[in-house]
Amino acid sequence: MRALIAAATGLAVALALVLTLTALGTPAGETSPKPLLTTVPAHP
Amino acid sequence: MRRKASLILLALAVFFAALSPMLRWYAFPRLAKIPAGQYQDMVLEAKDATLLDYGTMKAKKVSKVTIVQTLKGNVEASEKIEKTAGRDVVVWDGLSYVVGPDGKMVSRIPERYIFDAHTQEPVHATGEMVDGDPVRREGIEFKWPFLTEKRDYEYFDAQARVTAPIHYRGTQDFRGVEVYYFEQTIPWTNVKLPKTMPVEGITPESVAKTGTTRWYTTVRKFWVEPVTGAPVYGEEIHKEELRGGTLLGDRDKVTAFAGHVKMREDYIDHTVNLVNSQRVLVLLMTSYLPWGFLLLGGLLLALSLYLEARSRRPADPRPAESAEPEPVSA
Repeated sequence: MRALIAAATGLAVALALVLTLTALGTPAGETSPKPLLTTVPAHP
Repeated sequence: MRRKASLILLALAVFFAALSPMLRWYAFPRLAKIPAGQYQDMVLEAKDATLLDYGTMKAKKVSKVTIVQTLKGNVEASEKIEKTAGRDVVVWDGLSYVVGPDGKMVSRIPERYIFDAHTQEPVHATGEMVDGDPVRREGIEFKWPFLTEKRDYEYFDAQARVTAPIHYRGTQDFRGVEVYYFEQTIPWTNVKLPKTMPVEGITPESVAKTGTTRWYTTVRKFWVEPVTGAPVYGEEIHKEELRGGTLLGDRDKVTAFAGHVKMREDYIDHTVNLVNSQRVLVLLMTSYLPWGFLLLGGLLLALSLYLEARSRRPADPRPAESAEPEPVSA
């Protein structure tokens, strides 16, 4: 019984971690202030 | 004590073993996406190209034609579309700016490409356009999906404004990176004249009145790093002609542009380095961590079973005092 509880705890924590990570997602960021180029850049 | 330790190890074993497939099959498709605010530029060159001189209306050989391509993620526009689309969307405002050998503008084609941030499938929303004309893309453009497959894809051609297959032609090594080579041929197609013409006073409408039409064909080649889906190199064998009409006098056609367009060397190095660093991040989620966690889970389980077995073994060899068996845990 204790082994079952331990396994269930491990599974629940893994589930919680993955669900939290995916719910948080990644930030969208901001639109770059740099313009669309109309000159040839010297380097990348 | 050993029994407690074995239970903790068992919990950790299940934690890592469960995390492995969840990371690969649940978290990765939801977390891997193109950032909405990404900005990138690219320089391509066609050396010894043929270019139309609009003053004489004759084709001439030029040393070099340069194409500056910028893609700028529009975060505000993507957030607006996400509200109705119900998924993560990226809006790229792009500009293909073509410069002649004298540094003067040859053509400028703006476009807006809207796509799913995770799958790179096109998303249809108001504002999707090429050179100010609304379009409906049915295929990818600029970038392949993460974990690109060895198969043909549908690719949007912004000049002809059609979606056509781009064929997988094999796996190659490009500067130490394993890449999939794709090729698309767009046959001679009657295409629109750019809204912005290189000579003042000439407009697409004034050219159309003369009965002259613009035709275009290209062979598009991409070398795509399959883990990130990012092209590390691209080439185009591009030809444009003006055909018919009074503008050409007694000629049937004149070459407007012909050249073998290739990425500039410094941009190739930059792209290869960038893709290599991004590749590691994707591999972390699709391979390194899932396999590492699975292995770790197995090791922890083995250790837990070992400790459990040790805890059940009688500590003292005297048989007389260990007559009563311990209750067995489930």
